[in-house]
Amino acid sequence: MALAGGAMSALTKLRALDSFELVRCVVEEALRDAGIPRGEVRSLAVTPPGLAGHSTAMFVSRLAAYLGLPLRSLACLENGGTSGALALRWAMHEVRSGRCPVAVAAGADQRLDTRAEPGETVEAFIDRNVHTTVAVYGPYDGPYGLGAPIPYYAMSAQRYMAETGATPTDLAWAAVRLREHAQGHERAMFRGRTLTVEEVLASEMVCPPLHLADCSQFVSGAAAVVVVAPEVARALNRPPVWLRGLGEYHHPSSFSAGAVDLASFPSVREAAREAYADAGVGPRDLDVAEVYGVFSSTELILCEDLGLFPRGRSGAAFREGRASRGGEVVVDPSGGRLSLGHPACATPLLETLEVLLQLQGRAGARQVPGARLGLVHAEHGMLNGSMVSIWERDA
Amino acid sequence: MKDLVDGAMARAMEFQADGGSGEFYRRLAEGRFQSTRCLCCGRTAFPPRPFCPGCGAGEVEWADLPRRGRLHAFTQQGRALRFLRPEVLGLVELEGVGLVLSRIDAPFEALSLGQELEVAFLPVGGGVVLHQFRPV
Repeated sequence: MALAGGAMSALTKLRALDSFELVRCVVEEALRDAGIPRGEVRSLAVTPPGLAGHSTAMFVSRLAAYLGLPLRSLACLENGGTSGALALRWAMHEVRSGRCPVAVAAGADQRLDTRAEPGETVEAFIDRNVHTTVAVYGPYDGPYGLGAPIPYYAMSAQRYMAETGATPTDLAWAAVRLREHAQGHERAMFRGRTLTVEEVLASEMVCPPLHLADCSQFVSGAAAVVVVAPEVARALNRPPVWLRGLGEYHHPSSFSAGAVDLASFPSVREAAREAYADAGVGPRDLDVAEVYGVFSSTELILCEDLGLFPRGRSGAAFREGRASRGGEVVVDPSGGRLSLGHPACATPLLETLEVLLQLQGRAGARQVPGARLGLVHAEHGMLNGSMVSIWERDA
Repeated sequence: MKDLVDGAMARAMEFQADGGSGEFYRRLAEGRFQSTRCLCCGRTAFPPRPFCPGCGAGEVEWADLPRRGRLHAFTQQGRALRFLRPEVLGLVELEGVGLVLSRIDAPFEALSLGQELEVAFLPVGGGVVLHQFRPV
């Protein structure tokens, strides 16, 4: 099967549209991009419009009614940061089954409003936020007051640095290179704002050793891609981008509970091994990769667990430009999570869209010349589970 | 304010309880730092569960966790929802059990990787007692 087209919304700090409109706009735009009339869509798979906050029960049922689309397949899929990849996986299953020659996968995330709502009492406000924390981090970690997963990733960064000798400067180079990449992306949150290693190291220490500029910015936004059967793909105007390999592995752990390693992740290594074997390629064959690196340290660890650079050498690779245009493989040409922006549920679809544009030669100022083979990685928890897909343009 | 957070936390922990957390915190409140051990394969699990996540056996017993462990990683968060002031969080490696997230009762600057720690109890209001670790 193949990717036929895709689209993304503007990325905004706060929600700019209601969730139905946000999803409708990217679905319609993705179909226009693919050159497929909306009436041909048979399957729609979406994520919930955010991982925290208000109840999103029955979201996709109401969404389909709002869109006015009769469908033969309709699903809402959620598994933390992999949710968008999971929606895509469902769309691919439905195309492969033969029932749905055209399937759309969409993901949206609306930034949780942590302020009190109009008319909300202090008691209700505290109750809502405390419940959200304990719901996400569970009854063992939640009571310690984690407001975000940053402490987990900070401890991962500390272990990575202790075990490999990586330095704060190595981490900073990942952030700086991603910021450079983002300058070529018209919808990047940090377009027009440059970043230096010195600025990363001087930014607020959020959770040591992670500075503010080592962290991604959680934003609102959406993305969608259109998956089609081979006969549909060949009839379209643009060169299709074919699925070559899939890998997925979920280590039986959640954030730190049950984790065996914070400096290298079994889920990434195992999902990558399966995807490379499925595609019959290796990391050295890749031209471009979009990875779910939500912190600078994670970006470096992911590059190593995916086999792109040797253990402890990703920081040097970023510094030397080996993960940028002209290097061995361009990692996160979009600007990545740190500088494109990170609407968690939509992120895997943003990554897929970037690889699609790169492989179709449509990435404009950030185009990787001659890109032929691309990888997309997504994760949930603290890398407890990973999904990897490998895509190839027509020769 | 603190009372409101404590009350909400106690309710949230009950609402989000899993098959082991209710009993874990009941025992912690009695000064017992324990988890479940499989009667079939002998594996001690953390978090506790009414079954063995290793071999799948359905019979487990509550057993003492090691009171001492090593500091595997640590960090600090400035504005914790729970404590409203800088808090040191760490992952403590308990031998034969694995990593346990806890509060570390020491200044961030005084800590180092691999340091030996001992468990202590942290009553936080709302009838809840958490565990924390202190340098030995």
